[in-house]
Amino acid sequence: MSVAFIPHELQGNILRGYRRSMVRYLLLEVADRQAARIWLGAIAAREGADGLSITTESAWSSKPDFCFNVGLTFEGLRALGVAPDSLQTFPTEFVEGMTARAAKLGDFGPSDPQTWPAPFDEPARLHIIASIYADDEPHLDQVQAHIAAAGGGRALRIRGTREGRNFNGDVVHFGYRDNISQPRFAVIHDRPEISEPMAPLGTVLLGHETSFEGLFWRVPQPDPLGLNGCFNAFRILAQDVAAFETYLDQAAEELLVHRLTEHVLKPGDEAKFGQGISRLAALREIVAAHMCGRWRNGVPLALSPDTPNPQSPVSLTDFDYTAQSGCPVGAHVRRSNPRGGKIVQRIENHTRRLVRRGIPYGGPYDPTRPDDEERGLLGNFLGANLGTQFEAISCDWLNLGLQDPQITGSNDPLLGANEPATSWFDMSLLNGASIRLRGFPRFVRTRGGAYTFLPSIPALRYLATLTG
Amino acid sequence: MESEATWFDRLVDALPNTRLFQFIAEWILVPYWAARTPVKPQPGGPRMAPQPSENLQHMMNLIMPLKDKSPIGRAKAALAIAQNVDEIYAGLNNVGTVHFARFVLVDGNLCMFSVYDGDFSNYIRDFIATIGSVFNAIVALIEDGDAVIPCEHHVEAFIDWVHARDLYQVPDLATDLLAQHNAAASGDDLRLLPRDLILQLHANPNVSLGSGYRGYPAFSVAQIRQKLGVGW
Amino acid sequence: MPDNPIAVQLVDAVLSDFPDHQPGTRPVHTIGIGVQGYFEASEVARNYTIAAHFQGQRVPVTVRFSNGTGSPVEHDGWSDVRGMATRFHLGDDVATDLIAMTLAEFFAPSVDAFLQFSRAARPARQQRESPWQKILDMLCLKQPLPDPMPGQMASGAAGMLAFANQHRFAQMAVFQAGSIGAPVSYVRAAYHAVHTFILTGPDHVRRPVRFSWEPIAGVRTTDPTAPPVDCYLHQELKDRLQRQPATFRLVMSIGEIGDAYADPTRQWPGKRCRVFMGTLTLTTVPEDQEIFCEKISFNPCRLTPGIDISDDPILQARRDAYEVSRLRRGGQSCPFAAG
Repeated sequence: MSVAFIPHELQGNILRGYRRSMVRYLLLEVADRQAARIWLGAIAAREGADGLSITTESAWSSKPDFCFNVGLTFEGLRALGVAPDSLQTFPTEFVEGMTARAAKLGDFGPSDPQTWPAPFDEPARLHIIASIYADDEPHLDQVQAHIAAAGGGRALRIRGTREGRNFNGDVVHFGYRDNISQPRFAVIHDRPEISEPMAPLGTVLLGHETSFEGLFWRVPQPDPLGLNGCFNAFRILAQDVAAFETYLDQAAEELLVHRLTEHVLKPGDEAKFGQGISRLAALREIVAAHMCGRWRNGVPLALSPDTPNPQSPVSLTDFDYTAQSGCPVGAHVRRSNPRGGKIVQRIENHTRRLVRRGIPYGGPYDPTRPDDEERGLLGNFLGANLGTQFEAISCDWLNLGLQDPQITGSNDPLLGANEPATSWFDMSLLNGASIRLRGFPRFVRTRGGAYTFLPSIPALRYLATLTG
Repeated sequence: MESEATWFDRLVDALPNTRLFQFIAEWILVPYWAARTPVKPQPGGPRMAPQPSENLQHMMNLIMPLKDKSPIGRAKAALAIAQNVDEIYAGLNNVGTVHFARFVLVDGNLCMFSVYDGDFSNYIRDFIATIGSVFNAIVALIEDGDAVIPCEHHVEAFIDWVHARDLYQVPDLATDLLAQHNAAASGDDLRLLPRDLILQLHANPNVSLGSGYRGYPAFSVAQIRQKLGVGW
Repeated sequence: MPDNPIAVQLVDAVLSDFPDHQPGTRPVHTIGIGVQGYFEASEVARNYTIAAHFQGQRVPVTVRFSNGTGSPVEHDGWSDVRGMATRFHLGDDVATDLIAMTLAEFFAPSVDAFLQFSRAARPARQQRESPWQKILDMLCLKQPLPDPMPGQMASGAAGMLAFANQHRFAQMAVFQAGSIGAPVSYVRAAYHAVHTFILTGPDHVRRPVRFSWEPIAGVRTTDPTAPPVDCYLHQELKDRLQRQPATFRLVMSIGEIGDAYADPTRQWPGKRCRVFMGTLTLTTVPEDQEIFCEKISFNPCRLTPGIDISDDPILQARRDAYEVSRLRRGGQSCPFAAG
């Protein structure tokens, strides 16, 4: 049943990251159906209209000035005139859209879609999310201008933009190095340093073998529209850096006087965290590492439970979780990807893997000059099946913690829907005991998002041929 | 006393229990109000909620009309289940989130009732992965089942199909039904609550009355197994 | 505190709903009966709170059961909310109260809303709905208005209903109050403390919780189709306790994110973690009801270390309102005099 893998027929942002320093998302409404279809056909061509074409998976001879991709919402497909019997073949979660799935995604209270700013307050008018990746602003502007002018300016309405940029390599707002672990695909060789089990292409592409033995996801019909497509959960995740750092202070103060403090950090081991670092500062880093599952420099707790600076270097990706693991069961990276570790739903090991592409937005937080600026992550969570991957992780693992009885009833300490009155998280100590941290608020709020379909190049051409 | 009941009062009070009124209600009033003030059949199954304990011990009440409702057809359904005991236990243990599950034949329906932890789609999908063949054997006997088997190749459609047959769970707090039918913040009429329920039952003949009652709420299968020292 | 204008307003508002109320008596739950007994906490209760009455030893208690109305006329058999106020005697004149009622939720989430509700609930002349109107209701599949109780001339029911139709928060309480019936005995009803309290455990963990009393003999109401009897609850209780003690289980639900901690109009569903906190055993009805019961002024905010009030504005307002009411009728002991 698997289809062939043809790189130039795939959008290029699915299987690999472009690693550009800036991304701009254009949130578009189809204003003139016919003009928009012609435009989609043009950008699907290898030499697109006025030089703008979709960046595909084809290998580059030289790095382009910018990369460009599009995702379509269900409302977008409808606006483009996709026939009802074809629309019916898309999965329910995509049809309903991200706002209708709020309860599953933890989008309540301060993350409630009702509180999302424009244009996410009108999901029915959000049709296309175009993404432009570049290393400078003029190229972003150039592509935006092109899109604004599409179809003589009639095709699309730009209802909003969101822009992210790296400010310190792969470091994101809470100070962690991100973009470390991704599924590995047999056909892709761009990240040789990643050492993880191979994922079948059907993890992200429709029409290929999936990670569940014998299971296939439905390919939206007709085949040219659905094959080699991918679904994406685009999320705008605001991060409360001040609250996070304040909580680290609070937790470190508690640990400093905790009766088990010597099992959190052996007296004298502070130097492992850097020269002249105080015990309090080292304890802060330990709390941050336990909540995440990685030290802020990316070193996994599973391989280096006591220091971010192990004497001999450790792999960032080649590890698994055992009963003796130094990584808490409830740590963010372990919750979202338990790897081969023991989980309640035995069938689920390695089956919920998804591809993550994110870039920070907003300037870095300066603790010496606190501000109210919104900052966070523009995240994309890609997979062939939103329900199996993105939603399943969100509702059973990040929140609820169904995968291990020790964390059931608690939510992810970094990303979860927490409130001080009820939140809890167990740190795992060097002697095998644990300390329960409490009283942390919700650090990450959803401020917008949409489920999109990343069509293949033939799918864009198919859309261009629609009439009516 | 002025509020003393007259013979007419007593007659009217007894009216709802008369055959005549019941006939009028069933054949005229209910259809009339269903057409005049239509209510949408509410979706089946539990709803996800912020509270972790709301997402544990969910109830599934699946009613599946058999193609062949004769004793022979019902026996076939019984056999399909009896022949798959190993498969069912292996699935149950490896999916890990099921408290109880049972099959019941009621008239021409095969019913599956279960209590499971977490999200419905994940629950069904995990069972498709582990015991898809049992689902295929069972669903082949059910009306409109052929379109979604083999379930391994129709995962999304199969999950939607099961969801559509999972009974609507009437809210545990009676007045929440008003809010489900009327999205506006006010403008309800509490005295119309019975009509709301009647019209929902008109649209949705089989329902679960509430989301069930629990002896040890807020704990997962694995938490109980762990506490009891029997492994998870 | 006694001149807190909001508290005065609240008491006046409640009084205005009962025109025949007698000065010097309680503004609501006017007719009641005091009972003595003891409470024994379960073996797990002390894991959740350091409060003295939850440590497992036998704690003497005084309980006052009551009918909901502020009218001085006893109508035990009428459909009405009942109250159960419990005082735990912790020794050396120290005590803590737990006040509960047969409704599982309150009518309003804030003081302002409650004042509006009280205005709406002022009794109006109540007549039996005309038969023609009832037929019309039936044709609309609408529930006819309940008939007045025999002899009942005025009622706030219609006003409450109109209020609930305008304010969703009041719906559940009004709906439940409308069909609550009468218990066959004060010790055959379940009582709910409705508000959220914050418990502090020996590990300093603070948990939002709600309490209910469940009668071990089970819940039972009178036959709603039989003519109501006006006076039976007091004698029933005396007779019953002469034969054997009556018992209640104290059940506690633990709140979770998304729960209405500060909103007493929202019940918490039965899916919350439910902890069995202890058993109440009622043994005797004291002869001198005036001293042992009627003079006692309960207060939902009379707490003890290990249990605190939540942000619930109604709970906070009840603290002063009960005090104003106590002063007006000359009840015992101001629990907050020192503060």
